Amino acid sequence: MKKSSLLLSIIFMAIIVNYTPASAASRIAVTINPPSIQANMGDTITYTGTITNSSDVEVSNIIAYISLANITQGKESPMDLEDWSANKAVKIETIPPHGTYEGKWPMRLIDSGSYVAYITVVDKNDNTPVSSMMSRLEIQRILRLNPHNVLPIAIGEPILIGLIFAAIALRRRKGIV
Amino acid sequence: MKTIYIMQKEIRESVLTPKGFLWYILTSIILSVLSYLFLTNSELSLLDQGQMLYMIMNFVTALGILIGLIFGADAFAGEIERGTLESLLLSPVNKTEVAMGKLGAALINWGIIFAISLPYLFVVCKGGQNLLFGIVYLAILGTLLTITFSAFSMGLSARIKSMKNSLIISFFIFLLAGSPIFLSAALRGTWFGRILDLINPFADAINTFDSVVIDNQGFGYQTGRVAIICGYTLLSLWFLKRSVSRLEM
Repeated sequence: MKKSSLLLSIIFMAIIVNYTPASAASRIAVTINPPSIQANMGDTITYTGTITNSSDVEVSNIIAYISLANITQGKESPMDLEDWSANKAVKIETIPPHGTYEGKWPMRLIDSGSYVAYITVVDKNDNTPVSSMMSRLEIQRILRLNPHNVLPIAIGEPILIGLIFAAIALRRRKGIV
Repeated sequence: MKTIYIMQKEIRESVLTPKGFLWYILTSIILSVLSYLFLTNSELSLLDQGQMLYMIMNFVTALGILIGLIFGADAFAGEIERGTLESLLLSPVNKTEVAMGKLGAALINWGIIFAISLPYLFVVCKGGQNLLFGIVYLAILGTLLTITFSAFSMGLSARIKSMKNSLIISFFIFLLAGSPIFLSAALRGTWFGRILDLINPFADAINTFDSVVIDNQGFGYQTGRVAIICGYTLLSLWFLKRSVSRLEM
């Protein structure tokens, strides 16, 4: 019994000694701002991510990136940000002890729907990524009937060419040309 | 002077006709649809203006080449099938002048297509970058490509003497030249794809448009590709001259 207790105690101690807590979770915190956005298709918005190092040691070489998930009914899926954002991920060289890093993620709103955005921080010395709370994003569809004032050209030019043709055909018929 | 006379005759017969105007009306309608689609579609409307300008430029160039090929295929084989070549060859105009007159008409046709496209280019790229550079490059490379493909097709038409066969071969050449549009960027990125891109004059033109309009690169970057297109133009003119000199009834 004593032997068993001793063995269990040794195993327990060994686990405690070898156990690395999710130190990123304790060292790094990330927040996303604003917490919610309502905007129109085509608008450009900017998310601000604040990464805080709450430990007494410097953290270095961490990666922060933004993710977007479509939560519109029937369209639930993670989004490929290829067209939405030019700089999806940033590499942060160092954050001093008790220091913060503020990153900006500009984003062009490509499609309408309900989305959530969040920022994730990955520390290569740690097994657990740290994510921010989710920021809700509502994008309204906009119906553009005449963008860039294209309609006068798009309708007018074929008609104009048709009229020129009709005029030439008429002159030919009258024997003028 | 005789070349200009032939050119005027061709313009009267091919351009200032219901058929010719139908081409221009259709060109204009297609450009209207494309411009409206680019500017209104939910995702495409958010494309960079440079990207939209580049796509319209590609389309206009392809259209110029296609119509040039059709003009070329009709040039001699069409005259033979209509029974009008004999009288043309009996007139006091030499064969080269006839060919140059027909080529001139194809160029006028390209000029009209280019003019039709200008309002669309302006409206799509309103306030955008590199519009004027894009238009200058479109005018120059479009003209060179029209000469290249029209002259080649005319030479073929003079040799084959069959409108149907000339048209079919010309159409295959158009598909071959237009292959960069159908192939993905990954396929074009392989060593073989790059070689194909380099030796294909149409691919050289669209890569030049990309470089000028989207990547803001100067003329120094374009010289190689422009030189290749000029080389093809000279080669096609030589082919046309040789083919026409052998033309007999």
